[in-house]
Amino acid sequence: MVAEMQGLVNSERGLVSRRIFIEPDIYQQELERIFARCWLFLCHQSQIPNPGDYFTTYMGEDPVLVMRDSGGSVNAFLNVCRHRGNRLCRAESGNAATITCAYHGWTFGNTGKLVAVPNLQDAYFGELDLDQWNLIPVAQLDDYKGMIFATFDPDAPPLREYLGEMAWYLDSFFDRREGGVEVVGGVHKWVVPCNWKLPAENFGGDAYHVSWSHLSAIRAGFAGDFRLRNTGGSLVSPGQGHCVITLGGGDIAEAPEPELVAYEQDTRPEVVARLGPRAEQVSPIVGTVFPNLSIIRSTSHSFRVWHPKGPGEIEIWAWIFVDKAAPPQVKEALRVNGLRGFGPSGTFEQDDMDNWQECTHTSRGVVSRRYDLNMQMGLGHEEYRPDLGGLASDYRLSESNHRQFYRRWADLMAAEQWQDLPA
Amino acid sequence: MQVTPDLLREIEQFLYREARLLDNRQFHRWAELLAEDLRYWMPMRSNRYPANSKAIASLDEAHQETHDLTEAHELAVMDETRESLIRRIERLDSGFAWAEDPPSRTRHFISNVELEPTENPAEIRAYSNFILYRTRGEREEDFYVGSREDILRRTGETWQITYRKIVLDQSVLSAKNVSNFF
Repeated sequence: MVAEMQGLVNSERGLVSRRIFIEPDIYQQELERIFARCWLFLCHQSQIPNPGDYFTTYMGEDPVLVMRDSGGSVNAFLNVCRHRGNRLCRAESGNAATITCAYHGWTFGNTGKLVAVPNLQDAYFGELDLDQWNLIPVAQLDDYKGMIFATFDPDAPPLREYLGEMAWYLDSFFDRREGGVEVVGGVHKWVVPCNWKLPAENFGGDAYHVSWSHLSAIRAGFAGDFRLRNTGGSLVSPGQGHCVITLGGGDIAEAPEPELVAYEQDTRPEVVARLGPRAEQVSPIVGTVFPNLSIIRSTSHSFRVWHPKGPGEIEIWAWIFVDKAAPPQVKEALRVNGLRGFGPSGTFEQDDMDNWQECTHTSRGVVSRRYDLNMQMGLGHEEYRPDLGGLASDYRLSESNHRQFYRRWADLMAAEQWQDLPA
Repeated sequence: MQVTPDLLREIEQFLYREARLLDNRQFHRWAELLAEDLRYWMPMRSNRYPANSKAIASLDEAHQETHDLTEAHELAVMDETRESLIRRIERLDSGFAWAEDPPSRTRHFISNVELEPTENPAEIRAYSNFILYRTRGEREEDFYVGSREDILRRTGETWQITYRKIVLDQSVLSAKNVSNFF
């Protein structure tokens, strides 16, 4: 069944129906038309550096196994045994030449190839064609600056095209210095009872909530005071649903640790030389790669995936990243300040959960659901800025990114194929 | 420091009193129990195949990950000092700490207390298990279950916590956040 999308999102008026946060039919259509089609983030190259290294994750609700094969190439497959559909690999990461299913013992190589089936000769009479039962690969897999993405849709545009102008904004997080970034070992994983779009839109464009939702952390000294800064910045929509929150060029939004602030200042000339003149105008600090990868590098340097687990639940998987070229004491300060700000105990992040939870739960009410949500801040006060490569708000607070995020969401939900999508 | 039944009783009473201060939200009084040089650390668990698992044949044994707990230089749920914990308490005092506004209702259950001497004669190592039950709002409920390893330092008539390692048993935390102390 294809849910009727008409009237759920009105980006021209800044109105969004609450049905999209709660209705099972709409959620099923999201799994089909968004999560089985878009490029989704899998893991960072630095998590699987050696031949045989693997990492298990999800694309939408499909379990996925990312593996570097013996020859060094990265592949990704449904983490599902072809025999009876058991989840094949049960560990979060490790190193494998082969992985064997716990149910009947079918064994797959790190290229996804089915290499051994118990009782192949006696019970199958040697008649099973193993080549027909390899792991199901993703349709496309690619890397951008160490970030590995994949899509299940062979018709999706190539990753670089999918990212479009967002690529420069990703550079501003992941390619500031020679060598790019690496992740700190381990992934924060936790469950939040909210719809996945709420954190995605929040990181994509909600500069507004920072000085209220997070005021306690700011006052307690876990961040510099954002409200004192007003040197510019704007909400930028580089297209295709991707969204970025920026401060003015040169603004530093680090945790107030002297070594981190000094590191930002010391590396700034190198960063600007690398990123080009746009870095003089804006400092990207938070953003969302449509649909469910978000990145932050203010107070904490973290990227995270909002894995959908039904319309009303997500798992957050969050990493901390550091410039590979940063000195050890800076990496350690980023680790410590990162997890104190964002993560399950994060002094910023823990206050977001209640809001997203309650925004989701109140949508259960049939009467509450009749009333659209308001995303009208700065409506009409935004323009396409060639120098920023996207639609940008005229002021540092706006809901212009929300409107673009939900416009893309509605376009994807309505389109039967990629060619039908408006630009 | 020699482990005696009296000492065990004394440490148990110290840990129970500490738990009561937390459940009563007397956080500033709790902070008085924290040593200046405290490391308060909650590493993360993950699912790993053990070395003898037949589910996996390593390509390179050296890169097989069998340890299910993050290490000191890796991610953690919390990695705190006395100073950062006090900042967390000041955050709660601000009137803007929404995760605890209205506040959680918590109950700490501390059990399986075991003592072990350390090299420092003024300190003792205490192992314990805990359940932290949290309910909040109308019907939210979370159970944080795990173990602790403490190093406690005798300071006059009482004790201070100089090291606390908290290991939760969950890999994916089922609670939406961690806004309480352990």
